[in-house]
Amino acid sequence: MIQPLRGIAWASEKYVYAFDIIVQRFWTSPIDPVENAKWVMAGVDEEFNKENGFRDKGYTFIVAGHNFAGGGKSIEHVVTGLMGAGIKAVFADSFSRLQFRNATNYGLPFITCKGLVQHVKTGDELEFDPSTGLIKNITTGFEAQALPVAPFVAEIAAAGGLMQFIKNKIADGTVHELR
Amino acid sequence: MSGMTITEKIMALRSGRDRVRPGELVWANVHTVMTMDYLGKQTFAALHELGVHEVFDRDRVICVSDHLVPPPTPQFATMLNEWRELVKQHSITYFYDLGKQGIAHQIMVEQGHVVPGTVSIGTDSHANTYGAVGAVGNAVSVSDAAVAMAIGKCWFRVPESVKFYVTGTWQPYVMAKDLSLHIMGMMHWNGHLIYKALEFEGPAITALDMAGRMTLCNMTVDLGAKNGIIAPDHVTQAYLHGRAKTDWSMIASDSDAEYEAVYEIDVTNIGPMVARPDKLDDVVPIEHVKGTKFNKAFVGTCTNGRLEDIAVLAHILQGKHVHPDVNVLLVPASQQVYLDALKAGYITTLVEAGVAVDTPSCAACAGIHTGVAGDGDVILSAGNRNMKGRMGSKNAQIYLSSPAVVAASALKGVIADPRELS
Ligand code: SF4
Repeated sequence: MIQPLRGIAWASEKYVYAFDIIVQRFWTSPIDPVENAKWVMAGVDEEFNKENGFRDKGYTFIVAGHNFAGGGKSIEHVVTGLMGAGIKAVFADSFSRLQFRNATNYGLPFITCKGLVQHVKTGDELEFDPSTGLIKNITTGFEAQALPVAPFVAEIAAAGGLMQFIKNKIADGTVHELR
Repeated sequence: MSGMTITEKIMALRSGRDRVRPGELVWANVHTVMTMDYLGKQTFAALHELGVHEVFDRDRVICVSDHLVPPPTPQFATMLNEWRELVKQHSITYFYDLGKQGIAHQIMVEQGHVVPGTVSIGTDSHANTYGAVGAVGNAVSVSDAAVAMAIGKCWFRVPESVKFYVTGTWQPYVMAKDLSLHIMGMMHWNGHLIYKALEFEGPAITALDMAGRMTLCNMTVDLGAKNGIIAPDHVTQAYLHGRAKTDWSMIASDSDAEYEAVYEIDVTNIGPMVARPDKLDDVVPIEHVKGTKFNKAFVGTCTNGRLEDIAVLAHILQGKHVHPDVNVLLVPASQQVYLDALKAGYITTLVEAGVAVDTPSCAACAGIHTGVAGDGDVILSAGNRNMKGRMGSKNAQIYLSSPAVVAASALKGVIADPRELS
């Protein structure tokens, strides 16, 4: 059973590009959530442009507008950086396809929820139940319904990524049950 | 309960469900998995990393050499050798190496590896091309492709569908590429087609041959869409006969399917379109750029390197000569296309007209080899991308257009309207 998640949101209607989440000088650094988190979001807002600037704010959720993490960069650091900084789910009007696949392959739920960003301000407390898709803004009382998160996303997160998840499934003979 | 769009129906069918909803994540059976020379070695390495040493079906993992052939550098030659060994080691049935090569997306459709109602993936972005035959075609990462090679499955997010209903009559020398560019200008690359399934329908789509349908679906990836698709019809059937590697069944959207948006376009009003340098969506009618000087012209790529494109080029240049200030390069999309163009006499016509023809490959499209751009070059290309540095030098400019515009302009030495040819 996946437990509901609770925490504080960072919200912005601005375009949030992949190359601002991870700025260019870190594109080639190794995949490591702790390292990748140090400068994550550095290009998005000046206040995050210092070591662990975003992580130290202690956000659990991101609420964004159109084409979150877009701009055509496939760098996986975007996802590992956000995860390393404590992000447990991202809600947006839409996502870049490349980063949506990366996020799912690391087990970070990217949830499409049109218009949510108009009802959440940075600092609001949210509760999200992945098994029902219900999002509650505790601060304002606003509620929104998204689709439930496929259970395999949490399993991928628990396994530490798609490759290990598939290895486990092959090992225990359940890979053909995936649907 | 409303019906489903063609993309939803395919996703439901291939994931063993009665129905799917947009936004849902499903694991679907893939019909074929394509990988190519540039990422093939890494894909096989990822397969081995899974502890798997046999692909799920050696007839349905398709390997193609296109980005790096013939090898332009010793490093790439070495990589190709390693790739070739891996393909052999896995006893892959369909290996299109130099000699049988072509751009992977052309090969996948032309050699019948994709059929209506199925899902196929590839390690290259323009896998959207497969929608031309009514299949869902998608680009995935190396690890996704390796997983699919191992287990024959891939996860997908069911996309919301958007329909383009296209009516009217195609004007002379107006091609599917012009419609693609028109939509690009109208919707923008960062617009509201991100992650959508784009469905093309209507009399002007039915009127398109398979080459045009491939162009249209091909460029949906540049619009940020997940896939582009055209329901199979009599044109598709005729194309697939004698070509498809497997049986297929017809499939179409339900009449009460739900779309996030429906756009109507009358193609009668569309003339030749040009995307100006650096930005794919900076698209203007040709009137705005007529007379612009350029020094290199290129026809080829998975967007416009097909027989029908070469035919237009040959038709316009027949008995004439390209302008002395312009280099014109043609690279057919595959060996089959090359052979057909030879047999039709197009290659003779074009060489006589002063066009250089090179062996099928991606050529300079990705800036790797065969006609790459240098400082100060202004290129008029029938390809699909015009970002800075895409074809080589960052100090080059790339205009994108249809092959008809490239041909007319090659004659004049400046961007010219093919409708005004005397
Ligand atoms: S022709 Fe260009 S766009 Fe098409 S697969 Fe090759 S490099 Fe990519």
